[in-house]
Amino acid sequence: MFLKRTLPLLIVFTIGSLAFVHDFIPHPLSGEFRSEMASWMMIIGGFGMFLGVYSLMHMHITRIRQKMAGWGYSVFVFIGAVGMIATGVYGDIVGVSKDDIDLFDWGYKYIQVPCGATIFSILAFFVASAAFRTFRAKNMAAGLLLGAAVIVMFGRVPICEAVGGWVFNDRQAIVNVANAIMNYPNLAVKRGLLLGIGLAAIAQSVRVLFGVERTYLGGAD
Amino acid sequence: MRTPEINRKRFELARRCVYVVIALAVIIPYFFNPKQEFKPMAEVVSVYEKIDAMKPGDQVLMAFDYDPSSEAELYPMSMALLRHCFKKGVIPVIVTHWFAGLGLFEKACNEAAEDANSMWGKKIVSGRDYALLGFRPGWTDLIVKIERDLKGAYETDYFKQPTRGMKALEGVNSLEDFELMIDLAAGATVEFWIAYGTDKSGTPMAAGTTAVSAPDLYPFYKSGQMIGFMGGLRGAADYEKLLKIPDRGERGMLAQSAAHIIIILLVLGANVHMFAKRLFGNKRD
Amino acid sequence: MPDDLQDNPKSIIRHYVEMGVLALLLVVFLAVSLWRQDPLHQKDAAATMKAIGLILAAGLTLTMYSFLYRDNPLFKIAENLYVGVALGYMAMFVWRQALRPMVYEPIFHAPTWSALQTALLHKTVPIIVGFMLLTRLSRKHGWISRYAYALMIGWAAGLAIPNITNTYILKQLYAAVTPLQQAITSAPNTPAFSYDWFVGTAGPVVGTLVILIGTVSVLFYFFFSVEHKKVGRAVSTVGIWFLMVSFGASFGYTVMGRLSLLIGRVQFLLDEWLKIPST
Repeated sequence: MFLKRTLPLLIVFTIGSLAFVHDFIPHPLSGEFRSEMASWMMIIGGFGMFLGVYSLMHMHITRIRQKMAGWGYSVFVFIGAVGMIATGVYGDIVGVSKDDIDLFDWGYKYIQVPCGATIFSILAFFVASAAFRTFRAKNMAAGLLLGAAVIVMFGRVPICEAVGGWVFNDRQAIVNVANAIMNYPNLAVKRGLLLGIGLAAIAQSVRVLFGVERTYLGGAD
Repeated sequence: MRTPEINRKRFELARRCVYVVIALAVIIPYFFNPKQEFKPMAEVVSVYEKIDAMKPGDQVLMAFDYDPSSEAELYPMSMALLRHCFKKGVIPVIVTHWFAGLGLFEKACNEAAEDANSMWGKKIVSGRDYALLGFRPGWTDLIVKIERDLKGAYETDYFKQPTRGMKALEGVNSLEDFELMIDLAAGATVEFWIAYGTDKSGTPMAAGTTAVSAPDLYPFYKSGQMIGFMGGLRGAADYEKLLKIPDRGERGMLAQSAAHIIIILLVLGANVHMFAKRLFGNKRD
Repeated sequence: MPDDLQDNPKSIIRHYVEMGVLALLLVVFLAVSLWRQDPLHQKDAAATMKAIGLILAAGLTLTMYSFLYRDNPLFKIAENLYVGVALGYMAMFVWRQALRPMVYEPIFHAPTWSALQTALLHKTVPIIVGFMLLTRLSRKHGWISRYAYALMIGWAAGLAIPNITNTYILKQLYAAVTPLQQAITSAPNTPAFSYDWFVGTAGPVVGTLVILIGTVSVLFYFFFSVEHKKVGRAVSTVGIWFLMVSFGASFGYTVMGRLSLLIGRVQFLLDEWLKIPST
């Protein structure tokens, strides 16, 4: 029990207290300590990333091996990953000059980039469709939401300046309204949320330091 | 009475009609390019002016914290910033928390270097005119490390060249040595950079973010924790306009205008329909 | 053909129509790609690979958009291939940009004996802790990884308290109240109710008050320790109105962001794949 639970909690408290205290000490040694600890965390983070890659690979290999539902699609994950690793390792060992065709780079440029860029752009259609179907000024609050959205959407595209000049004889008229929304009510709310988030993060950190919050230890004992 | 089946079909039809209209609103403007007049936003102007006022040889720390999923918004910003730096002789030092964007960052550096050669006859060399340091794990810890010891965090750059003795990094080893720090972020890294980096070192900070995150930056901008920021493709377009080098940002603004107007009309139309139904009743149902 | 369609003639017809349309689209895609990219008649291998790459990228882009019609196997294949390629890329960069420069090279390629000693002095503990983290993969020894987590979580929590207090709380509170005092004390000496007075004095004061009222009412709305009655209810209602305006603004920006991504893909398809120059 001591090794599995008490000692990790003691480490959290000790290292957390050191991090906290050293932040207030303007001595160069404190700065060195912070810098050294940050280096440690970066190295440990590298191992953590390896763990992430391994876990994801393992999950898909297990799905293929056990022929679980949709295992055929996992084959494509496997092909993609192995293909990239093989070309990457080849490039590292043999070396790829600027004139050679780097298949690792090619896979990134023509598979990862277009797929990554497209998958999020699909949301443009969903957002538009959802706005059309559900955005209704049914009450005061919904009306404010709708009004602010419409003004900001319009006030952030160049055409609003032409319309402003034509209707109000001031090209910046609509832009100024959009700016006012962003600079006052939006700012007020975001600041309120920041204060709330900040207080919550501090409370959570204190809970972690004092061992009240210990879900990071995992289950069991 | 409408049956659920008819409702479902109407829903499907409306959904697909909206998709087609949005697609057309984005595609058609590509073929037209009327002169678009727009005034760059104040928050973008301050970033531009800060870089424009720098002397040749000054260094700017740039964190390119994005990946292909936000390439459409942040890549044009990266290009505009790099071109501006190369034009002024300012040295961008590029780091990232997002390994998945490294290929894009290398491409951006190469393209901006080629542009500098073709536009201003400048030969831009890695390690001398810019430094692409690359990725290191650690998130906030990378910032804490850079805040004090950049060359300790990056003993070698992206191209495996040692950073000690690198011309582009002459005179800088901590965050406070930089004239400016800019984070182009698709996620929450702007707040990390402020909290763990620039608020401690006192280095002026600017940002470029996806439009989705831009509203969250106003408190930091108004409190003086940031000197300015660019939000989304419009932010990139503003910077391109100030730099007088139109690219994807400015080119995209007509489509952006058209699509916004279509969505506004769809939403307002649906609301008018709702109010009309309330006023006159729905006799058909 | 999927089993659930066997007994439904309408669905069977629809299925074959969809297959036919898909085949037609595929032929059109290949024909257009070969016409615009012409991978078979490029000057060298690099140009050929670029043309093939652009065709593949365009194909994957359009396949992804097929999801808008319906979820389908082609979309799933593209999606999983993307996950795989991204995973492979990540694996390589964990090595190239993390473990190799921070662990392998300083120790196994140390230029001098003293450099090796320095590397061992600074890196031995985190490397051991890093390996402890990997014990997470073992059911029997997984508990050892708790030490690594304890170190990381403790460090992050301890560091967060002062930094978040400074950035999120103190600086924001300071910014919330000082402009009011500045606006009053540094107001230009202008006649009351003149244009300059509105712009120079009244405007900033009102603006700062709006921000202050908004911030306080939003915080109050999320403060559930007291019941929201009478004045409390009025304050939290104001908080809701502020929240709605802010959410509306955020929604406007979200639409802008998603459309920008779509514009980016359209620019790619028209500009790079179809090679239609923008006017």
